[in-house]
Amino acid sequence: MITRKALPRRAFLRGIGTAIALPMFDAMVPAMSAATPKQPLRMAFVYVPNGIDMRHWNPEYEGALGELPRTLKPLEPLKDDLLLLGNLTHNTGRALLDGAGDHGRCCGSYLTGIQVKKSTSDIKAGVSMDQLVARQIGGQTRFPSLEIGLEDARQSGDCDSGYSCAYTNNLAWRSETQPLPPVLDPRALFERLFGDGAAMTPEAKARQAKYRRSILDFVTSDTKKLQMDLGPTDRRKLDEYLSSIREVELQLQKAEKDNAQIDPHMDKPYGTPADFAEHFRLMSDMITIAFQADLTRVVTFLVTHEGTSRAYREIGISDGHHPLTHHMGNTEKLDKVAEINLYHMQQFGAWMQRVKAAKDGDGSLMDHSMIVYGAGLSDGNRHLHEDLPTAILGKANGTIKPGRRVVFRRETPMCNLYLSMMDRMGVHMDHFGDATGRLDGVDLT
Amino acid sequence: MLCRCLLVLAAIYTLSAQTFEKTVQPVLTKTCSPCHNERMASGGLNITGFTKASSLTSDRDGWSRILAKLKAGEMPPKGIPRPKELDATIEFVQAEIDKADRNTRPDPGRVTARRLNRAEYTNTIRDLLAVDFRAEKSFPTDDLGNGFDNIGDVLTISPVLMEKYIAAAGTIARRAVGGDPLPKKPLELQLHMKDKKVRRVDPSTIEGTTHIEFDGEYTIRIGLPGERAKDAAPVKLGFWMDGKLLNTITAETKPSGLVYFNPYSDETMRLYIPEGDHVFRAGFIDDAFVKTLDAKALYDSRKNKYLESITFVGPYAAAVEKPSRKKILICDPKTGQACVDRILSTLAHRAYRRPVTPAEVAALSKFVAMAKADGQSVEQGIQLAIQAMLVSPNFLFRIEHDPNPTDASKVHPISEVELASRLSYFLWSSMPDDDLLALAESGRLRGQLDAQVKRMLADPKSAAIADNFAGQWLELRNLDVVKPDPQKFPLWNPDLRDAMKTETKLFFDHILRENRPLAEFLDARYTFLDERLAKFYGIEGVTGPDFRRVELTTPERGGILGQASVLTVSSYPTRTSVVIRGQYILNNILASPAPPPPPDVPRLDEGETGEKASLRQQMERHRADPTCAVCHNKMDPLGFGLENYDGIGKWRSHDGKFPVDATGTLPNGRSFATPAEMREALKSQLPQFARCMVEKMLTYSLGRGVGTTDRRTVDDITRSWAAGDYPFQSLIFEVVRSLPFQSRRGESVTK
Repeated sequence: MITRKALPRRAFLRGIGTAIALPMFDAMVPAMSAATPKQPLRMAFVYVPNGIDMRHWNPEYEGALGELPRTLKPLEPLKDDLLLLGNLTHNTGRALLDGAGDHGRCCGSYLTGIQVKKSTSDIKAGVSMDQLVARQIGGQTRFPSLEIGLEDARQSGDCDSGYSCAYTNNLAWRSETQPLPPVLDPRALFERLFGDGAAMTPEAKARQAKYRRSILDFVTSDTKKLQMDLGPTDRRKLDEYLSSIREVELQLQKAEKDNAQIDPHMDKPYGTPADFAEHFRLMSDMITIAFQADLTRVVTFLVTHEGTSRAYREIGISDGHHPLTHHMGNTEKLDKVAEINLYHMQQFGAWMQRVKAAKDGDGSLMDHSMIVYGAGLSDGNRHLHEDLPTAILGKANGTIKPGRRVVFRRETPMCNLYLSMMDRMGVHMDHFGDATGRLDGVDLT
Repeated sequence: MLCRCLLVLAAIYTLSAQTFEKTVQPVLTKTCSPCHNERMASGGLNITGFTKASSLTSDRDGWSRILAKLKAGEMPPKGIPRPKELDATIEFVQAEIDKADRNTRPDPGRVTARRLNRAEYTNTIRDLLAVDFRAEKSFPTDDLGNGFDNIGDVLTISPVLMEKYIAAAGTIARRAVGGDPLPKKPLELQLHMKDKKVRRVDPSTIEGTTHIEFDGEYTIRIGLPGERAKDAAPVKLGFWMDGKLLNTITAETKPSGLVYFNPYSDETMRLYIPEGDHVFRAGFIDDAFVKTLDAKALYDSRKNKYLESITFVGPYAAAVEKPSRKKILICDPKTGQACVDRILSTLAHRAYRRPVTPAEVAALSKFVAMAKADGQSVEQGIQLAIQAMLVSPNFLFRIEHDPNPTDASKVHPISEVELASRLSYFLWSSMPDDDLLALAESGRLRGQLDAQVKRMLADPKSAAIADNFAGQWLELRNLDVVKPDPQKFPLWNPDLRDAMKTETKLFFDHILRENRPLAEFLDARYTFLDERLAKFYGIEGVTGPDFRRVELTTPERGGILGQASVLTVSSYPTRTSVVIRGQYILNNILASPAPPPPPDVPRLDEGETGEKASLRQQMERHRADPTCAVCHNKMDPLGFGLENYDGIGKWRSHDGKFPVDATGTLPNGRSFATPAEMREALKSQLPQFARCMVEKMLTYSLGRGVGTTDRRTVDDITRSWAAGDYPFQSLIFEVVRSLPFQSRRGESVTK
């Protein structure tokens, strides 16, 4: 492409097309974290829609992991880093007198722990747990959190039975009315993390930063003037605007302070690949790099949307995902659902192997992470909200003892897990959603 | 006096409360509550909240929905005996609701401050600065509310979007002013087959997508290996950008006479290319020669001349001044502060869509001073000021002010300046033009409202209504998302998809511009086709890629329900769905959506049709179940009426090995046996269709959901629109004149 960088970007070519072998990024780790003996803990959620066929997910045993069921097979080489949790439930995903719309509801409640408001325009959820963490520790990294996705939102029509598309398009909620839409385009993510590749002199860079600051000051004062005579709802809209401005300001400050130009050792991606696996790989590799370079410690990754009718022709499935999950026991459909579940897991497993291979401090990035792979429904046919498929990868700085399957009492709130995870991230809450406590008795360690 | 009124009111209240207890309550408790109770809440309804007379005033919305079901005979469902008090109940509740509607003070409702959505941002930048910027490629998708993406409440701003706004503002300002120097040496970019940067569309055409970083002129070289026979004729070589033919030249194909190891030639042209992502295509037009070759010879350089690469060299300064510069630099800013201020105040006035204060201009001109102090040019300073302007909430948001922002009882007409923006974003999805703004600022807009609406509708910019209103009402935008199975539907391809979309947009645009009656959406005997789509429909006599009006001479097609776009977005990737199509008609034509299936009821299995049993047999079996029958009796017949069209809208007489049976009966008893007869039958429901359109158009025009308090407005508009067979433009005029479009009120602070 013709860019402001006049030289061809041959230097970056080695990153592209290679399946594993992320280069060692030691040079990129900022001085701050190098000085700290302990590596920071990273947290990510990877969400897949329409439930998972649990017959191929739940092993028949508890305790130490033996042979893994069909869907989990791609995690076989990572068994020592895998913790499987059984019987976690999201009660707030259930109807609870709100009628149909399990897909909209289960995604809306997944990280918020809230029974979201059933409405197509007056959206209301709650602050999601990743954002509670980001709010508290996000100041230490350039991006308090990253929101990633692979599927574009529906362009028209209803999303699920009277639920706004905002509930199915987003996992992270910054406030009860402000969802954080995922970035879908690899190039957009690349530019966000590593800059647009324009070669600039230090003076030009400093000047650009100064101008940006002045623009932010200018619009902040504009907004405050505007807000003076507005009603509460309009004021809230402008508050959203202001808080986004403030976050950009903070990013700018942090970028100036650490001043490190991060070279991701990968070519700037162009456009969105049509191939699902390639799209997944590009986005997940950038998450790995963002974690390694400590650009962020909190990621939510909405693989595709609840209720999606995406067809997986890549693996010979031309029916839509959602219609297939309403299989009503039809074995042919069940098999296709299992194939899709497996295909997702293969992409995730390959990524986790790269995370395992990525060096971080004195060990692997996997040692300093907890990455949850899960769904808001277990049985997508009957829309069940109990025994949600939940796998955690990583040792979480030694606070998680993986290699096991732990089955809790039935109806144990998913939010209990969140309290336990937030503890590890340094965010200690008394309550969250419908939590009844930490994952007690059978704690993670 | 007040006291007496209250007494009378109380007496009336007691009277109706008594009737309620005697007539309505027994029906509710005996007939409704066995299913609609707290535990089961069938169809999402728990009747307990409606068993008190006071619910008639407190939940009119809920009662209206219940009433609609009772009146339509959908409730109580088959198998449950119809109580004798039912007619009295319907009559009583209807009267109470009408009374309540009459007694409510007209309420314009409140529109939440709206940020520009992607389409509005794109159009506003086009009209403000004459810069072609495509927001849909840069910003995250806007969330939908009430079926549209311009609803203030759901248009949020995330930090990611804010970063994009700042970056986009910088890019747009730089492109508009062009104050930054171009690279000293031209750059070279090659898209070549060997790097897979281009793909072959057909043996005579290659296509590649790339990003161009600078507006400017480029030398474009098209690489043509090979040679044809000595007597081969020259061919026309075309070059396209984003589907538009930019240039054609004549290319020689016979041997050059020079001795090459590998015969090769290239053709060059010089063109202006705007910054951004583009799809470039180069190809021989009407290349008859390749049709004489067998596949092996196509890329044999001894037998054929073919395309292999596109190379760009540039940018070079454009010979003609950009239109954006003419728009911005209304005087020479090097002459001093006065001119700079004039430029900035003119721009800000238009960007903020209202008069600006000297203080605002001063704040903007500080950016120019700052840039100059850094040794930048004054034009670069203006660029910086424009960037700031485009990030300002005054630009990004459409904010309307209330004299009493926290008093919900004070209704007031919006200011004329605010009205100008409401009009322009409704009709153009863009900013007001100078005429409109000038009228508003001099207080003369309301006086000639109809004339202005007429003028705006006549402007080509009103095509935005087809793009954004029809694109969402008819779900056309989902055409970009749906992925019909290429094996089941080998004819499906992006060009056919675009043709489908164009047909329906042209059709909608025609009905709007020509002020055709609403019924033509259902039964028009014409449509708009190019050769590709005409062939797909089996209509002869349409040649070439231009769309034109085509009269329909057979009953196969007619109206939107015979258009492939609509039929495709209402299908599954592998097959049709009578349920989705039925629901589509209920949602988008009749404003009477069926409720979603109750939890734990598995969806219908429509999948195995054509093999073991006909679709109809399967569905009839399903409808034998009374819980399903209630809604499916309503949806399925409508879907069956369209079974003659396959999953991408191609006409068929058989589905698998079973002949298509398109018979059905509407809820009101009209029956039909073909799609054409169904269209006729639907026309008997024209008043419902009109009401549906009023609700959708009002939602779209206001940018908020339409609720109970708007029912009177919707009724009034529907009634006055009926005169003269619902001419389509009248709907626009009625919406513009309506209370919610013209006024607003404060917001009550209690939650």
